[in-house]
Amino acid sequence: MDPKIFLAENVLNERRTVTYRSLSRALKVHANRAKQVLYEFHRNENAKKPQSVHATYVISGVQNPEPTTTNGHANDEDEVMQSSPYMPSSMPNQEPVSHASRITSIILAREEDLDDAKATFQSISTMHVYSVQSTILQDLNVLTDVAREVATASVQDDPLECGKQWGMIQNRHVKRRTGARPPPAASPSKESAPAPKVKLESTVPAKRPLQSEASTKEEDKTEDFKPQPSSASNSQSSAKSTVLVPKREKSNLFSSFAKAKPKKAAAPVEPTASETPDVVLDDASEDEQEELFPDTGEKAEKSAAAIRESKKEREEKLKQMMETDDADDEEMPDADDEPEPEREQTPVEQPPPPKPTQLKEEVTVQGGRRRGKRQVMKKRTLKDEEGYLVTREEATWESFSEDEPASKKKPAVNVPKAKGAKPGQGNIMSFFGKK
Amino acid sequence: MTPGDDYGFLRPPGNTKRPTALPQTTNPFDTFKLPSGPGRHYKQQYGDMYFLRLAGLKPAVEKIATEAWEGITIAGERARRVDRVLDVRQGELCWVAGTVYMDMPMKPNILDDLTKENFTSAPPPRRTYVDSSNPALTQTTLEDASGRVRLAGDFLSSVHLTTGTVVAALGTENANGDFEVIDIKVPDLPPQPPRWGSEGPKHNGKDAAPKESGKIAFVSGLGITGTSSDTLALELLTEYLLGYTGFSGNEDNGPSSGASKITRLIIAGNSLGASVITDAASAGTDNGTKKKAVPRKYGYDASAYNSSPITQLDSFLSEILPSIPVTLMPGEADPANFSLPQQSIHRTMFPNSRAYAAPPPSGEENPEAGWFDSVTNPWEGNVEGWRVWGCSGQNVDDVLRYLDFSGENGDADKDSDDSGARMQVMEAMLRWRIGVPTAPDTLWSYPFQDSDPFIIESCPHIFFTGNQPSFKTAVIDGDLPLRLDGGDTEMTDSAGETSVPRVRLLSLPRFKETGELILVDSETLEVEVIRFGVFAGQEEKK
Repeated sequence: MDPKIFLAENVLNERRTVTYRSLSRALKVHANRAKQVLYEFHRNENAKKPQSVHATYVISGVQNPEPTTTNGHANDEDEVMQSSPYMPSSMPNQEPVSHASRITSIILAREEDLDDAKATFQSISTMHVYSVQSTILQDLNVLTDVAREVATASVQDDPLECGKQWGMIQNRHVKRRTGARPPPAASPSKESAPAPKVKLESTVPAKRPLQSEASTKEEDKTEDFKPQPSSASNSQSSAKSTVLVPKREKSNLFSSFAKAKPKKAAAPVEPTASETPDVVLDDASEDEQEELFPDTGEKAEKSAAAIRESKKEREEKLKQMMETDDADDEEMPDADDEPEPEREQTPVEQPPPPKPTQLKEEVTVQGGRRRGKRQVMKKRTLKDEEGYLVTREEATWESFSEDEPASKKKPAVNVPKAKGAKPGQGNIMSFFGKK
Repeated sequence: MTPGDDYGFLRPPGNTKRPTALPQTTNPFDTFKLPSGPGRHYKQQYGDMYFLRLAGLKPAVEKIATEAWEGITIAGERARRVDRVLDVRQGELCWVAGTVYMDMPMKPNILDDLTKENFTSAPPPRRTYVDSSNPALTQTTLEDASGRVRLAGDFLSSVHLTTGTVVAALGTENANGDFEVIDIKVPDLPPQPPRWGSEGPKHNGKDAAPKESGKIAFVSGLGITGTSSDTLALELLTEYLLGYTGFSGNEDNGPSSGASKITRLIIAGNSLGASVITDAASAGTDNGTKKKAVPRKYGYDASAYNSSPITQLDSFLSEILPSIPVTLMPGEADPANFSLPQQSIHRTMFPNSRAYAAPPPSGEENPEAGWFDSVTNPWEGNVEGWRVWGCSGQNVDDVLRYLDFSGENGDADKDSDDSGARMQVMEAMLRWRIGVPTAPDTLWSYPFQDSDPFIIESCPHIFFTGNQPSFKTAVIDGDLPLRLDGGDTEMTDSAGETSVPRVRLLSLPRFKETGELILVDSETLEVEVIRFGVFAGQEEKK
């Protein structure tokens, strides 16, 4: 594909930010070539229509020393250190006065600030375009997001093979374990990723990665359905690029569903996944991530479906179990779920020897509220006069009020029956319910 | 700069020539690896560590003290050597070796915590333990297995000591029972192995060919948070390390050819942003109040755990790993154990990067270092033949809490510039021969039983500390005459091979704040700084 058309589409029409790395990955060209393309594009477009395209630049070189802004870095040279008196040896042997360590700066600057930025440099060794976009970037951190999208978009590309193409440093000595490739991040977009890849390699290059990059913007346009935060946008864009034919939104919708409710999505997603025989990417669910053996899409689909089915069954069973549990639950001393009193009573319960029944209790009923004091055994660790730590058990009085009556009757177990409906059980249910 | 024409920077693409990285050799040591699983116990007493430390360092310090004080006479009295602290006699001039213990008013005290029934997990961080308004409260004592004696005298105020250092003190016991100190000796630099040390033969063949000098890169405090507030600097760093920045192949001095010389990147701690932890903490307290309302869940709770920082770190690593081998040390803020030595961050945290790691250890065999090496903190190893010893910064930070440098730095604002003090502390550690002197006192530590790994047995060539406020470097030299005088056979042996010990100290800045990457030349040990940043122009000021 002609890079100019690509850039015109993405930068002018779609108003995206294109960095040299995203361009290099999209067009499968060397990063340096991508920088040139961006530069040409920027120059040509602005010649046609000034201010239509804005750029950011990376400058590297040696900056002027700026004592004011470089807090504390002004004197980076090796320093003659003061020696503590007990280190006489360090005195004579200090490296006398030394050269300042060389500081190279690599600075990113907007086109508009370029001259100012250049002025801070003593000497510039290189300078190149970093990104091109249709508006002035208010916040340069946007570029970080672009870079991240590039990274996620090209998860499938083996950097060891493609690195040459992209122009990164090649290391002949790299050691990588074979076998299980890292599972791609578990998001529905990944499932459909291989398809475009195949296409890319064959004829139609470069449509996809950038498309997925600016999926957010795209969403604003295609308002047909509710934009679902991030996962949806991902899947949407990738799905779009995958199919590149009608059906688009439908599959999008489903694939976005796929995350939340895999059961429903199972069938419709299939066209999206389109059985690309890419072994690595077959992890439909997390359970299968470690799967090493080739498996066809359908098979995975089926097994996944089966798993879901059985999950569902299990869930059902558990639910029933829970319910029955609820009924005859009272005998279970689940002290954990006791909200407040438990904390105060721990000292009573923890040490087995002190029998709570022996302890006194004074109760007054006041306006329908029980208040009182009771005696509990507490462990105290003290430092005595000689500096030793002494642990003693002491009977101390602590006050309590109405909402912890249990200790009167059943101090040992202290589960009030009344609280049968306790949150604990509900918790387990909601745990399953959410899945 | 090319006059007037931007086009001058535009070069033909370097497609034909791709930079290739230099070979690397790294040999990490297992000094700080704890026994795994059932072999790791936490019930031992810490006393053993001090015993081992004293046993390990006493001979060294006594040798130095003997050389200095043998036969010395003060006011007609000969200095006598005393073996045990308890044998010091009142009014007698003598010298004795022992471990320093400092009692300071602001120091966290485990006994106090116990008596207060206050079992908080981590003590709140303090900037200093020194109560400068009342320096008299600081007590310095010298102890060994037999007992303890309080040190006194004006000399003390002129030296910097911390708990856990082993020193020899010359003086007399006064009427109060305090030991009036006249002079103090420390073990000084340990013997330094020659470069390539034990690995020498392996490399002689390679050295025959003219070897291009590589670079060892250090960075610390990446502080990745996983949000878009992460600095662009990290992105620029990635691109630099991958050789994208600048035009390669055309300029020998271009930054990208520099990057291709980097043979290993060492990440010294705090790769994840500290803010994540505080967020989690505040979230935790919020949860505490809401706890009753929120149904309790079991196991992994996606709402409370934010995985994006570690995911982001993983993708950063997996992006640079194809080009550069990485050694990753955990730091205070990283997902590793808190007590020193911190064990390596587990590989499962890095689903993408772990393919580059060494295969999981199987049985007894010791696998060779991985391309991606997740190591302990502190860490010791050989990189390009140089002995490297480094820590993520806890050691220096904690020692500084014991010391009061305000007097020496004059009016310098302590917070902004204590880098000089930090350098001094690093030098002092080497001369104390203890990398982490204040563990296990104020730094949490594993209770070692058989050895004290914090003792620096052999002098490193590069001694680095991560997560410091600013970059600083210095070179310290050992004392040649002293080493030659030594009658010890071991010493003379090593002196025969090496010349004077010479150590490059590096205080690594936090990348998150400074955007600085430190390169050390693997032949000359010269230091170079690459600073990444964003030019805050008018747009930002608007």
